[in-house]
Amino acid sequence: MVVKDLHKSFKELNAVNGVSFSIHKGEIFGLLGPNGAGKTTTIRIMSTVLEADSGDITIGGHSISHEAEAVRSIIGVCPQELALYEDLSALDNMVFFGRMAGLEGTEAKAQAMTNLELMGLVERAKGRVAKFSGGMKRRINLAIALMGHPQLLFLDEPTVGIDPQSRNHIYENILGLQKKGMTILYTTHYMEEADRLCNRVAIMDGGQIITMDTPYQLKSQIGPPEKVTLEDVFLKLTGRSLRD
Amino acid sequence: MKRALFITLNEVRMYLQDKADLAFGLLLPIITFALMYGAFGGQTMFKATAPVVNEDGGTYSAQLIEQLDKVSGIKVELLKASEADIKLERSDLLLVLFIPSGFSETLKSGGKAELVFKQRGNGGQEGQILSSIIRGVVEDMNQGFQVRHQVESNLQGKGIPENSIEVTVQNLLDKEHQQPAVGVTEEVVGGSPDFISLYLPGIITMYVLFSLTMSARTIVEERRRGTLERLLTTRLNTGELFIGKFLSTVARGFVQTLILLVLSYAVLRIFTPISFLASVVIALVFVAAAAALGMIIASIARSEEAANWIAVVFTMFMVMMGGTFFQVSEGSVLATIGKISLNTYANEALRTVITEGGSLGDTLQPLAVMAGVVIVGLVVSRLIFKAVPGSK
Repeated sequence: MVVKDLHKSFKELNAVNGVSFSIHKGEIFGLLGPNGAGKTTTIRIMSTVLEADSGDITIGGHSISHEAEAVRSIIGVCPQELALYEDLSALDNMVFFGRMAGLEGTEAKAQAMTNLELMGLVERAKGRVAKFSGGMKRRINLAIALMGHPQLLFLDEPTVGIDPQSRNHIYENILGLQKKGMTILYTTHYMEEADRLCNRVAIMDGGQIITMDTPYQLKSQIGPPEKVTLEDVFLKLTGRSLRD
Repeated sequence: MKRALFITLNEVRMYLQDKADLAFGLLLPIITFALMYGAFGGQTMFKATAPVVNEDGGTYSAQLIEQLDKVSGIKVELLKASEADIKLERSDLLLVLFIPSGFSETLKSGGKAELVFKQRGNGGQEGQILSSIIRGVVEDMNQGFQVRHQVESNLQGKGIPENSIEVTVQNLLDKEHQQPAVGVTEEVVGGSPDFISLYLPGIITMYVLFSLTMSARTIVEERRRGTLERLLTTRLNTGELFIGKFLSTVARGFVQTLILLVLSYAVLRIFTPISFLASVVIALVFVAAAAALGMIIASIARSEEAANWIAVVFTMFMVMMGGTFFQVSEGSVLATIGKISLNTYANEALRTVITEGGSLGDTLQPLAVMAGVVIVGLVVSRLIFKAVPGSK
């Protein structure tokens, strides 16, 4: 994926202001930054939901502005907010989104069961999502994004507000997906999460990328990598804490 | 198109999962039918209470009240003058018959007596019917008096006792009533011309407008769940999304309307099999047109409250201007404004079939208008959704 000089404004607010980066195949790329940094807007543009004011994005050789449908056929999106039909079962949710992703009936069901197994929820396949815990809903949210074998997966803060057990489960799944060759764009404001998972990270603030490299290299810029954190890097670059 | 059908199936599945929503959706037409049947069913004859103030208290006023009470469907309620005035003032009653004091004495002396109708406005529909019935009873009494006076004046001075003349004349009048010179026979042609067949089209069209509200909410419900954005990152395009939502609303609205029609067919027996099928087709086209209009609201509304309010305004306008419960006179201002109400065309089509015994072929024009609304509604809603910033 190649992002070139992306701009997006909402009235007076420059949500995304000249963002450029590229993600290599099979890489986990982290987009970090505090709330309001422009991460979600960038993902919404990349996932064809929002139109950019200017700039271009190419995913798998397809331009997002001219071949949006082709782009949608190779991406999977796990939005920050839960996007589920709570009255339906986990399996029904997954099969439905599988059909939306272009899978045939039996294939959608088989893939749904595989993904539920991956998330450790196969025994709850027929349970109503409304009765699931927050962590289980997060895992279903992620499992749905995997329907249709996407080549590029957008994960927008997939671990927000969940228990450590579910969070670890999601980390393992993400690393497992990478091993299978999937490319992942991961946004988070938890720096330790990015440090643990991402091959490269871009730190965003005020709609711009202020630095981009491997977590190790970024940390090396300000001190011994084993002693400093990405949060320290952010503090050094912006003079602010991530939680300010 | 396949994905549009999955959207429809998903929507229907969620509807079936929500037991409260399902129960409400299926019970509503049954309750509507029960209310309609309770209000109009079986009441094919006019029934009313005739409020009477008898300030006379004489023989002839008692006779008038007795005659009135004998009329089928009429029950006389005697009131005091002050009581009647208050009820008229409050519009509890719209018409009261006042028998003034001296009424009987005037008649006995051969003079001309007067009855008084006190009424609010035109007395209302029931008042006007009552007034006609009372006039009929009075006309009968008048004829009796005329005959008696005629006979008495002819037999005056011939030594026949007055009592004997009275009895003989009364017997002749009774005989005349039993075997009138001019009789009237009722012949029922087609469906019975009762209140149900007059009001059923209006009730169906008002009912179908629930589809408008249902479809107006479909997109904001997806947005509230967060699933709208997720759907738009799949291979589903906005056209498929809108058609899927439209079809699910049509399915739900049509099932509800069908329940109402089937109950009307089975219980009220106002349909022939052909007119029933024609009504089903009209209802289906109308449900589709209402759902398509609802999709335009869905493409504009940003919250469920907004969707509901806009749908309510649309519905109120269409019910009021579309002649749902009263027929709008041709050429009136209301009729001109009503041309933009979907109900006008649905009512016209349903009345043609149910009330006037017409065929589906007679309703092609209103059906074509409604089908046009379906196409325009779907195209416009999709265009608005794509064009308005922040729709997604």
